[in-house]
This record gives sequence, structure tokens and C-alpha cells, in this order.
Amino acid sequence: MGERQNGEERSEERKKAANGRAKPERLYGGMTRRTLCTGVVGVAALLGIGAINVVPKENMVRPPGGQDEEQVIGACIRCEKCVESCPRGVIAPAHVEDGILAMRTPTMDFADDWCDFCMQENGGIPLCVEACPTQALKLPAGADPETSVLGVAKIRKDWCLAYAAAGCKFCYDACPYDAIYLDDDQCPHIIEDRCNGCGACEAVCVSLKNGSISHGANERAVTVKPLGEKGGAQ
Amino acid sequence: MKTKTLRIVIPLAILLIAGIGFAFHLGIGNLSAFGWEDVSFLCPLGALGSMLATKTFIPKAVISLVIAVVLILLLGRAFCGWACPVPVVSKLREVFSKKKALPDNGIEPGNECSTAVLTEKEKEALKTCRTCPSSCSSCADVRSKVDSRHFILGGSLLSAAIFGFPVFCLICPIGLSFATIFLVILLFSGGDVTWSLILVPALLIAEVVLFRKWCSRICPISAIMSLIGKGSKTVRPVIDNDKCLETAHDTSCGRCALACEQAINPRHPEMGASWSECTRCRACVDVCPSHAITIPFLPPKGGEGAKAKVPAKTKD
Repeated sequence: MGERQNGEERSEERKKAANGRAKPERLYGGMTRRTLCTGVVGVAALLGIGAINVVPKENMVRPPGGQDEEQVIGACIRCEKCVESCPRGVIAPAHVEDGILAMRTPTMDFADDWCDFCMQENGGIPLCVEACPTQALKLPAGADPETSVLGVAKIRKDWCLAYAAAGCKFCYDACPYDAIYLDDDQCPHIIEDRCNGCGACEAVCVSLKNGSISHGANERAVTVKPLGEKGGAQ
Repeated sequence: MKTKTLRIVIPLAILLIAGIGFAFHLGIGNLSAFGWEDVSFLCPLGALGSMLATKTFIPKAVISLVIAVVLILLLGRAFCGWACPVPVVSKLREVFSKKKALPDNGIEPGNECSTAVLTEKEKEALKTCRTCPSSCSSCADVRSKVDSRHFILGGSLLSAAIFGFPVFCLICPIGLSFATIFLVILLFSGGDVTWSLILVPALLIAEVVLFRKWCSRICPISAIMSLIGKGSKTVRPVIDNDKCLETAHDTSCGRCALACEQAINPRHPEMGASWSECTRCRACVDVCPSHAITIPFLPPKGGEGAKAKVPAKTKD
């Protein structure tokens, strides 16, 4: 235990005192120089860490109620309770690859399932919003999946099986908001005004599956991107 | 079970329960915020940081703060001694250190106290030390009202207010302990491979192993508890003067002071750290050769001299 050393050190000091070698240490406001230094260096370090927030950062796909990025970063204490409370396991903690500041804040992971605002599980009130103790996730009154947009789906044509004339239309079938249409070649397109980023298309996309550790290998042909980002090779 | 074992088992059990809750989506949370579904009890530092950063009033945070104050007034720093995973993680230091672990009674060999009867000279020396206005630096350091923890508490709240996010939560070793477990669960349940799996435990170990006095010198949560804990008079060690070797038999002992991990001297409180540092770890209770120390819920009434039992008096 850390404090055990305390006792050791004190006994050393006591021995020194017994040998008559101990000099009275100079005190600064009742503190030893060491205490003062630890304190000042600690404060400087914390201000330094705080300054990470000044660096501009990319938007992320957040759970329902987390669309105000400033509010999420400001209020989130990284308790990961939203991740735990999600009945479908579509919320995951962000990792260091998403930025140091974003670490352990909630983001969406549509690998296996999608977000329906807990319509089945909790009558349309997302359990993550209920679980969040600090209002980092907060929905305005009367918010529903139609008006609360998590992100927008993008299709990578070079990965999509339909564009390789493989005849896949899983995403088209899965979309609960009719936000995907098929063109004359049976290739899917996203209607961005209708898409709310629920992830149903991403969850069913078969072009790539999890299982490899190389970067991007678990990203599918259709993925939900954060709003305001011009991502996805269209 | 021995208290020393219990104090390792309980934090590990808390980590395990939080891990099970996380794996099965039970929604019970962890020490950063625990509670069923929408009922949450937040970490007091997280609650303060979050409200300062967003400059808003968060009802759950305020309720949690009130509960935290009540609990600290009742139990002082008991959280540090019984629930916090950090002291358990910092035991890893013993793996790295070449020094032999201390014997079971926590007293270094060669540092045992004799129980010789005090000579008049020694009694006189004790008296002068008791009345010394903390002129020796070793006393001053442990008795100082403000220490580096309080700077860091202030710094983390200031930084949260300036930069708009709860800064300490990012590096909090309690949060990192749970995060490590959650990352391992996500790795096996969802194939979630990330550099965080290395960074999070590395940061945790760097904090609690490199800074060997994290809890007593750096931790701002410990600072909150010691500040509020100054008002805590309950569940504290009390010495029965009829049994204590020093008062009953006029012999020197001091084992309780040596055993205390927080450098409190229960027999002569004015010579050690303040009572607000007490983690109720029961080390003094267990080490006392004459079983004179107990930790009753309420301090004995009547104060000093009224009864045989004398509350180890506070002098801040």
C-alpha cells in the first residue's frame, strides 16, 4: 500500500533525528518544498491535459441525446453506464484512435445490431439517456427517432456487393425509414434527408465482417458517419 | 477472514461485479456512477467536475454530492480503505520491488517497540514532544492543513471550469481500473481490438506504481474526503485507557502508530497525521497487543476523563 512507505520514511526521519543529523526543513505556508512542488506540478499537468480540448476534433456518431458534442465532452465522466445499459450492445466506448479526449466516451457500434431508441425495450425512451447520470446524453422533450438524427449512412461503392453486380440488397430491406432506394441497376443509394443514422443497414451489411485486426477490416460497405462530415467514398 | 485479506477481496469483488454487470448489460454501473437504471450515485469529483465544466445544475449530481457528504461525515475515508481498487492495484509495486514485503504485523524488523517501562526522562520527553508547536519538519509535513492533494483537487476543478470537461475523469485511476476490465470484456465479446487495451492499463500502472504515494499525495478524491472528513466523529478508533499499555501500565508501545498506513498516531494524535485521514482500515485494532482499540459507531460520551474510555481526541 502506498501509505506504508509513509511509515518507512518517517521512521527513517526519526533515525536521522536520533543521529542528530536532521536539520529543520524550511517550510512554505506550513508545507515542505516537496509537497508544494508536487502540488504545483500536479496543477500544471491538469491544466495541460485540459488544454487538449482546445485542439479541434472530429465529430463522432453518438448515442441518442449525444448530438451536442460540446455537452457530451463537457458532462461525460466516462462511467460507461450508457454502454452497459444498452440492451442491444450498440454503444461502445470510444478508443484512443478516436482521440485522447474522446477516450471512453460513448460512440455507436453497429456491428451486430442497430438503435431503435429502445422502442421495443423501453417504449421509445432510450435507456442510455435514462442511465446517463450527468446529462451528457439528453434528449429534448418530445424527441423521437424521426427528428433525432444520430448520423447519416454512406455507401462505399468499391466495397458494396451490389455495385459488383452481386445482387445484394440487405440494407435496402433493413432500412426502417425507407431512406435507401435501388436504382435501375439494383444498386442502393441513401436518401440523406430520411436517414437518421440508426445503423440498421450497417448491421446487416455482409460485404465485410468482423474478425480481422487490421485497420478498416471491420468497416462495412455501408457505414453510419457523423453529421457534418464529408466521409464515405460516394 | 482477516481484515487485511478482506480489504483486498472487497475491491476485487466490486471490480468483478461491475464486470459481470457490464458483460450482461445489467445497468448497475461501477464506482464512477453506480445504481440501478436511472438511479445513479455519482463520484463526488465527477459530479463537481461535470457541473463546473457544463456550468449547469445537474440534479443527479447534486443529490449524489449530498449523499457523499453524509457518507463521508459518517465514515471518513473508509472508501479508500475498503472499496477503492487503487490500493489493490498498487500492490503490483511489490512485484516489481526487490524489497521484501513487511511481516504480517506491518512492523519492520528492527523497528519493533520495546514494552519497557518508561523512565521519568522518557515521560518528560514525551510531554515536550506532545506540546511542541510542530517545529520538526516530519511533524509539520503530516500535520499541515493543506497538502499537494488539495492543490490537485483545486487544479482539476479549475481545469474543468476553464476547458469545459471533467479533466480528472480522463486519468482517474479508479475509472481506468474499471475501463481495463471493460476493454478486456469488449475484446473477447466483440473482437474490439484497440490501442486503448495497452494505453489504459499502462496509464493506470504508471500512476499508481510510479507515484507510490498516489493516495495520500495526489488523489483529489482522497482530498475531498479528508476535507469533509474533518467533521467526522463516528466509526473512529477509540482507545480503552484501562487496557492500553501506555496508560494502564506506564510502558512504551506505539504499535498502533507504526501500523497506521496514514501515519496517524492514535495514542498521541497530535504527533501524527490528522484523524481526517483515517480510512477505518482497522490496522491499529488488529495490531494492538492488549486489544485496547475498538471502532465503535458513536464516540463514547462524556469526553476525556469522564469515563475510562477516552476518545482519541482530535486536534487539527
